[in-house]
Amino acid sequence: MATFLIRRLIQMFLVLIASAVVSYVLLYFAPGGPMTGLRQTQQSGRNKMSADDIARIKQRFELDLYIPYRFTRWLVGFPAGPVTIAGQTFLADVAAGCKTPGMVRLRYPDGRTEIIEEGCEVPITFADLVDRRTSRGILFGDFGLSQVMLRDRPISTLIASRLPYTLQLMGASILISIAIGVPLGIYSAVRQYSRFDYAMTTVSFVGSSLPTFVIGIICILVFAIGAKEAGFIYLPPGNAVSNKDYVIPYIGEVIASSTLDRVLHFIMPLGVLVFVNIAGYSRFIRSGMLEVLRQDYVRTARAKGLRERTVVLKHALRNAILPFITLLAGVMAELFGGAAITEAIFNWPGLGRLLVDSIERNDYSVTMGLTMVSIFLLLLGYLITDILYSILDPRIRLS
Amino acid sequence: MTTPNHRPAGQWTLIFRRFKTHRVAMWCLYLITTIYVLSMFASVIAPYKRDAISLDNAYTTPFSTAPDGSYHVFGTDHLGRDFFTRLIYAARVSLTTAITVTTVSTLIGIVVGLTAGYFGGIVDTITSRMIEFISTFPTFTLLLIAGSIAIQNSDDIPIPALLSQTIGVIMAVNEREGKQVVMIMVIFIALGWTGVARFVRGMVLSIREQLYVESSRALGASHLHNIITHVLPNAMPPIIVAYTLGLSGALVAESALSFLGFGIQDPTPSWGNMLSFANSYMFNYPWMPLVPTLPILVCSLAINYIGDGLRDALDPRVQSEVTRAKRDALLKAIRDRSAAS
Repeated sequence: MATFLIRRLIQMFLVLIASAVVSYVLLYFAPGGPMTGLRQTQQSGRNKMSADDIARIKQRFELDLYIPYRFTRWLVGFPAGPVTIAGQTFLADVAAGCKTPGMVRLRYPDGRTEIIEEGCEVPITFADLVDRRTSRGILFGDFGLSQVMLRDRPISTLIASRLPYTLQLMGASILISIAIGVPLGIYSAVRQYSRFDYAMTTVSFVGSSLPTFVIGIICILVFAIGAKEAGFIYLPPGNAVSNKDYVIPYIGEVIASSTLDRVLHFIMPLGVLVFVNIAGYSRFIRSGMLEVLRQDYVRTARAKGLRERTVVLKHALRNAILPFITLLAGVMAELFGGAAITEAIFNWPGLGRLLVDSIERNDYSVTMGLTMVSIFLLLLGYLITDILYSILDPRIRLS
Repeated sequence: MTTPNHRPAGQWTLIFRRFKTHRVAMWCLYLITTIYVLSMFASVIAPYKRDAISLDNAYTTPFSTAPDGSYHVFGTDHLGRDFFTRLIYAARVSLTTAITVTTVSTLIGIVVGLTAGYFGGIVDTITSRMIEFISTFPTFTLLLIAGSIAIQNSDDIPIPALLSQTIGVIMAVNEREGKQVVMIMVIFIALGWTGVARFVRGMVLSIREQLYVESSRALGASHLHNIITHVLPNAMPPIIVAYTLGLSGALVAESALSFLGFGIQDPTPSWGNMLSFANSYMFNYPWMPLVPTLPILVCSLAINYIGDGLRDALDPRVQSEVTRAKRDALLKAIRDRSAAS
């Protein structure tokens, strides 16, 4: 067990680093970022920026450093300056980046000229890095600064403001759907080919084949717009709280950001996620149960004269639930990552929407932070499931 | 007495016969085929030009006449473009994208999975590690990022002109739009083949150990012969079911991506981006999101029903729910990959 754990943790660490490299490289090639708007101002005459301005802004976003150094500074907060060992400083004049690039004027044979950046006039050395704000590194939980969405504020603030909403939505929806989906799946497997089973399979078939955004939009049309027009109790179509009081028929006036207001806003996104998850979970449990109920040991259990309840819950379910655990490996990442599309439709201020917004607005430091956390949680989820699996299923040995 | 030259029906005839007994699946197959074939004649059927903007006619309700006297079956959008016309063109774009993406990634998956599973050894180790590594990525996030990069840098990314022109002709879009669609497809394929490869590898691993493969090898058959005559045909049924499910997965993922604004961009119509526009006018014109929702809803349901029917048709021996369990696990895997929730 111990060797297994150590090996898995090392493996996990390597995968994490590798995915950090891949996502960093991918986002390095991404367009936009803090310099995009500046290039335009640079060309217009009135607010023409000097080379110093550009150098200053580049420094602020670390764009003047070479990629490997930027990456390690982002990942582990190194190099933050020259290395000091036993009172002696090393590496003080190693170039880590370039403050002012050299300009080369190219003259083409057809008479056109073009100025390109080549070489480096003023390099940035490790010694210059001492004065900079250095993140402690994402591996140690410092996400760095947001570039666009909350300019120069820490990304952790951004995440902390969204996290409660995502945890609330995802936590409630996952718990409720397991609590409802698992019993439904068991019941429809035990009563196979009954009217209930047919209804259940049809509903869950439809539920798992329709995209979430279609279900969400239909819900808004029916429960928010339609119900309001018809004068029934309606639900607010978006956001987590409203910013002014409103009146709902039969309920009365709802005061903005009261508990009732929050609950009313919560119902629809929760409902959609629960519906979709129940459809998936109950199908999964049903098929697992049907397979197990056909096994010899279940027949033996029945032949021994055990009560049906004991047979189903003790003998069958225990074995049928095993694959379900693998399915839950992604739950932690889901809890954190949120449901991007559901959140987008219902304007729910969670992390899923933060991700979409950050990509849309080219705030890549936020995107990378979120991606790293979800990769980490996914890997952790796999590890936990493997351990749980070995505890629940003695046939499987970890090695 | 049977006639001596009576030949029993082939495997595929039997499968098709069984498939026909699944009424709903059969109807769904007709429906999808009809929609796709009709969309190929879009320029003939469509009553208006694809991007014909007329602001005076904007927000015309379905089944009614616009202010200038023109009739619009499904109404018009916020720019007065005819919804019916755009839906037909969008069917061409969305369905072609889904079909191409699924076909190519399935083919890649089959080749990689077969090689890894059949030959084992170092090839298997490398591919399995690679597949594992790719599947630790949050796919949907990667899709969003890649989509956004591709759209914003569309001029710098080299795509063979012939390819984007071909896609352009198939989808009735111009070369520039074709290039964009090709980029989206490449992203989907790059992230999509791993699921199929893993699945095929697992199947080939078990088929390889079967006695008939072993005896064929003992008789001196080449690996290629073995793969073509024994391994592939036996692996085919589940692959076909996976293909159908992947098709609906790709359709949904594409529309989700376009819905969020990182997929196919307006004015190229796709059901997803039409929905995203309609969605922002839904409070004033509640009918509007229903128009593009309808085809997404119908097609994803229909494809899933076809998959259901195919599964029943392909595996009659195993009447048990074992296949269903496998299928559900597969469905879940595919769904997780697109993570379109």
